Amino acid sequence: MTSPSVSASILEYFKNLWRGIRSLSGSFFTALPYLLNVKSGDLKKEVTEQYPDPVSSRIADELPPRTRGLLVNDIDRCTGCRECEVACPVRCITVEAEPGNIPSKLWVSVFDIDFSRCVFCGLCVEVCQPGSLVHTKNYEKSTLTPGELVASFGRGRVTPEQRLKWARMRDAEAKDNEELVT
Amino acid sequence: MTAWEEIWKSGMGLPLGAPGWVVLVAAWVVLFVGVILPGAALVGFFERKLGSDLQARVGPNRAGPAGLFQPIADVLKLLQKEPLRGKTPEGSVTWSWVHAMALYSTIVTLPLGSSLVIFNAEMSVFIPFWAALLVSLSVLLMGLSSRTVPGWYGGLRVSAQAITGAFPALIAISTVGLRAGGFRWSQLVDSQGASPLAWAFLSSPFEFVAFLVFLVSGLVLLNIPPLDGGYSVQDIHGGVGTLTQGRRLCLFLLGRFYGYFLWSLITVTLFLGGWKLPGTLYRALEDVSAFRTLAFLEVSWVLLKTTVLMVLVSLLGTVTPRVRSDQITDLSWKVLGPLSFLALAGAAIWMEIFGK
Repeated sequence: MTSPSVSASILEYFKNLWRGIRSLSGSFFTALPYLLNVKSGDLKKEVTEQYPDPVSSRIADELPPRTRGLLVNDIDRCTGCRECEVACPVRCITVEAEPGNIPSKLWVSVFDIDFSRCVFCGLCVEVCQPGSLVHTKNYEKSTLTPGELVASFGRGRVTPEQRLKWARMRDAEAKDNEELVT
Repeated sequence: MTAWEEIWKSGMGLPLGAPGWVVLVAAWVVLFVGVILPGAALVGFFERKLGSDLQARVGPNRAGPAGLFQPIADVLKLLQKEPLRGKTPEGSVTWSWVHAMALYSTIVTLPLGSSLVIFNAEMSVFIPFWAALLVSLSVLLMGLSSRTVPGWYGGLRVSAQAITGAFPALIAISTVGLRAGGFRWSQLVDSQGASPLAWAFLSSPFEFVAFLVFLVSGLVLLNIPPLDGGYSVQDIHGGVGTLTQGRRLCLFLLGRFYGYFLWSLITVTLFLGGWKLPGTLYRALEDVSAFRTLAFLEVSWVLLKTTVLMVLVSLLGTVTPRVRSDQITDLSWKVLGPLSFLALAGAAIWMEIFGK
């Protein structure tokens, strides 16, 4: 390969220079209409969604159907099976359950979800057999204290007397059932 | 008593017997508080707002009407940060003060008006160069004494770019000096006409090339976007800026803005007519000896031009990706250098054939 002649390389130099200037001015003039809002339509629209002030145009109902917002547990349907606690990758769900007044269902005394740790992956909702744990479309949970981020759905802890009373109630019911069977 | 002292004394209401250094300090404070600080706030705000327009974003919109108080909020936030005592290397603190002193020493040569320019010497154009090189040296030493990799590389890059950028800029200045017949601010401005067509950058095609070379080499010299390889965020985490925080970061950022402002002001003075008022306004005001109005109008006019230039250059920085540092030095040596010589030789021949 022969080296190019002097005049050819000088020409190449100025060609490169011209190409650089053209590229630079090209990008500048492409962006200029955005600045001056010359064209209508998409160019004029700011794509930033402003939140919370002015209030976002999106209300909760307009969000997609499978939006994974804050979790809610319907404690009446919850069986206290702890599947969600096991499935949670960040261990933000704490469940405590014990036998209640009827033998067929556990008393869920504590059901806490720590939203400061929740990653909204939805695994707990998928494993929930009774379908009591669901995502809402609500996403507003900003607080000044981290403690407020814990949502409690439990029925409350049981006193020893109550525990004793329920044990007796269960025993009585079990006896009734035995009598019915025999 | 020199002419500038008299004008500043009457303008600020100082007694006529005040010594020169008092007037100088007062003028320095007035220029710093009255021109540089609000200028930094306003230009920074417009830059952010227009840049967000370019990218279909909203930009600052919370502090004050349309986010106008955002610069004040930023400064207050930086000032209330607790300094990391004992964790910042001593050398880097010292050199940051040298950086600030070198920068703001150039306030005495700000070409803000026919009567307001304090130091109007034979070689006043070259004083900012001295300052710019000292600034780069102090940034280099700040970086080297920082005990961090971003600091080392940032400092080295800044100094490398300063050396490469100063060379074509000096040649481009000689092109203008050739035409004006000297390097006094007043000489340089008086050699240009009042209308935009009579400004230096349109006086010949070679002057136009010199204008472009001077503008771009300033970006190289002072590490201004898009040619800010020394402060690159992606590969060296912002360079020297990473090791400063709180009020020192505030000072450092203001210094970077001031360098940019100074360069644009010099470009306006050399190539875009400087403080020369449009039409016959100057003559009319001089006839009625309304010197204060004249000084005010001249400052406003030159600052308006500087602001427009700064905003245009920063928009160019917004639409262009950051250039790698070695490519910047390449550009400076291989493109800006030869072009500046071409402009110098061409301008000399042009003057010989067509006259001034």
